[in-house]
Formats: sequence, C-alpha cells, structure tokens
Amino acid sequence: MNDPVSGIALAIVIVGLALSTFVTRTSFLLAGARLRLGHRIEVALRYAPVCTLSAIIVPDVLMHGSQALDVSPLNPRLIGVAAAALWLCFSRNILGCLASGMLAYSLARVLL
Amino acid sequence: MNPARAERRAALRAGQRAILQSLPGAAAWGLVSGVAMVKGGLSPPWAAMMSLLVYAGSAQLAALPLIATGMPLWVIVATGLITNLRFVIYSAALRPYFADQSLRKRAAIGFFMTDFTFTLFMRSAQEGTLPDRHRDAWFAGVCSTNWTTWQVCAMTGIVAASYVPTQWGLEFTGTLALVALVGPALITRPAIAGAVVAAVVALLAHGMPYRLGLFCAAIAGIAAATLADGWRGAAQSPDTAGTP
Repeated sequence: MNDPVSGIALAIVIVGLALSTFVTRTSFLLAGARLRLGHRIEVALRYAPVCTLSAIIVPDVLMHGSQALDVSPLNPRLIGVAAAALWLCFSRNILGCLASGMLAYSLARVLL
Repeated sequence: MNPARAERRAALRAGQRAILQSLPGAAAWGLVSGVAMVKGGLSPPWAAMMSLLVYAGSAQLAALPLIATGMPLWVIVATGLITNLRFVIYSAALRPYFADQSLRKRAAIGFFMTDFTFTLFMRSAQEGTLPDRHRDAWFAGVCSTNWTTWQVCAMTGIVAASYVPTQWGLEFTGTLALVALVGPALITRPAIAGAVVAAVVALLAHGMPYRLGLFCAAIAGIAAATLADGWRGAAQSPDTAGTP
C-alpha cells in the first residue's frame, strides 16, 4: 500500500475537493441568464429532490457498508425507516419521526 | 426598524424555524463526519480545514478511504467531483428562484446549499410556504442554521473523536431526516415513479467507479417522473410559481 496522502498533497486534495463542491453548487446559479436549460427541463427539475434523495436513502438503507443487497425484514435500517415512515403517515412532526426511527433502529440492532 | 428590514428579518426567522426540527439530522451527520475524518487518518487541523472548506459530507466521506490508501490526487478529486455532480442539478433547479439576486449572493447561496437545504427550499416552494418576498433571507436563515449546526458538531467530532460512540449508528439520524423531508412528497404518481426509478438505478449502479451511480440515478429518476407527468407540468413555470 502507498503512504497516506499528507502535507502539500493533502492541501491540494482539500482545495481540489473544495473547488469541486463550489463549482458544482454554484454552476447554474452563477451562470445566470447566460446558461439556461430549456423551460421544460427547469420544470422537470422540480422532481430533483425526491429523485436524488431516493437515490441517496435507498442504497444507504438496503446495502449499508457492503455491496450486497439486504432486503430482509430484519435489516435494522429498514425497520428504522419503516417506523419513521409510519410516523409520517400520522404526523408531520419531524422530531417525532427522527426519534421513532432511531428508537426502532436501535432496538432492532440490540434485539435482533 | 424600517418595514423592509423587519420583513427581511421575519423571512430569516421563518427560515430558521423551518429547519429547526430537522437539526438533529445535521448534528448527527456532522458529528460523524468529524469523527470519520480523524479516524480516517487526518490530523485535527487538516480535518477542520476540510470541514470548513469542502462542507460536503458525502464527498468528504468518499475521499477519506482514498486519502488513507494513498491514491493519486486526481483520483481523489475526481471522486469528490462526481459525488458532487448532483449539485449541478440542484443549482439548475434553484436558478429561476434567485435569478434576480446579485452575483455575490448567488455564490453564497450555492456555497451553502446542501442536499437538505435544497430539498427544504424546493418543498417549501411547492407547498407555497416560502415568503412571497425575501426568499434569499429565508434561505439564508435555513442555510446559516444548518451550516452552524453542522460545523459545530463536526468540530466536536474532530476534537472528541475517541469519545464519540460510532457503534451507535448516529449517522442514521441524517438519513432519517432526509426521509422525513422527502416522504410527504411521495403522494403524486410522478414523484413515486421518479423515486422508484432513482432507487433501482442507484442500487444497480452502486458499484460504478467514482460514485457515478448517484448522478445517473438522479437523472433517470427525473426523466421517469417527467414521463409519468406526461409533460403536463410544462403549463406551469418555475419562474412564475410562487411569485406575487
């Protein structure tokens, strides 16, 4: 194995990562009117949050820390998300959603 | 205080209130990122600098194992860049709402935009709970609260890395906060279609190099939602939606 990145190299990595975040986040915002996607695409982007978060959440729940799919009903993360979703059916209180999800997840990890 | 300033302050406060209940998610995720950086081999000053400059949890966590194994610099930065590609989509989605702001303000809006603050903004815009004016102040309230919580917790994690119980799975709170944010939106057919397609593509593409899977999944999901919508949404423009 190679040596861990350190010193000047680490500074370059951090600046590079910072630039990658800044450039992607500000891209269209800074381009303003000069760089506009079509009208239909801007309408379609209303679905960006639900799609991206689904693409973040589902792999985190179903294949956490591995390459294998874990769809067993005993998967603690699945149990946690199910409890949180059930809470959301009855209440919009987010604190309660987080608490019920963490409680179910922790209980499942301890008990199962 | 003059009325215009009072109105801006009210918008800022409304933004702070909007994110308040979700802060445990940002706090837990920030704390875990701080711990992960130190346990991943960064010394505390470097970890703090990374947190302050990069401010992108998923890109930081993606880069850590590559740094630890001494991968070439361009591979590390490319992985971060591709992990961050979804922000280009977010930036394009926010553009119409902030087109009339100054360049400096748009740069700030971009810098402080995260998965969470972006989704909260879009959700509030669609639910009509954004203030009619001073959306920038509202978003500043959301983002400053999120940033402060995240950084304070990241610094705590960096300093107290060996005392934070990582085996408790605290970072799952961050995932649950995203669930709470996006769950209520899953009531229309296009939203459900988009979420399902994005999830399937994300699972199938999980092994793709440089974390390309997330970006591909987002694009596929948006395409699916739009198809399910039958382009009906074209009647309404994001440029006019929500403006007084």
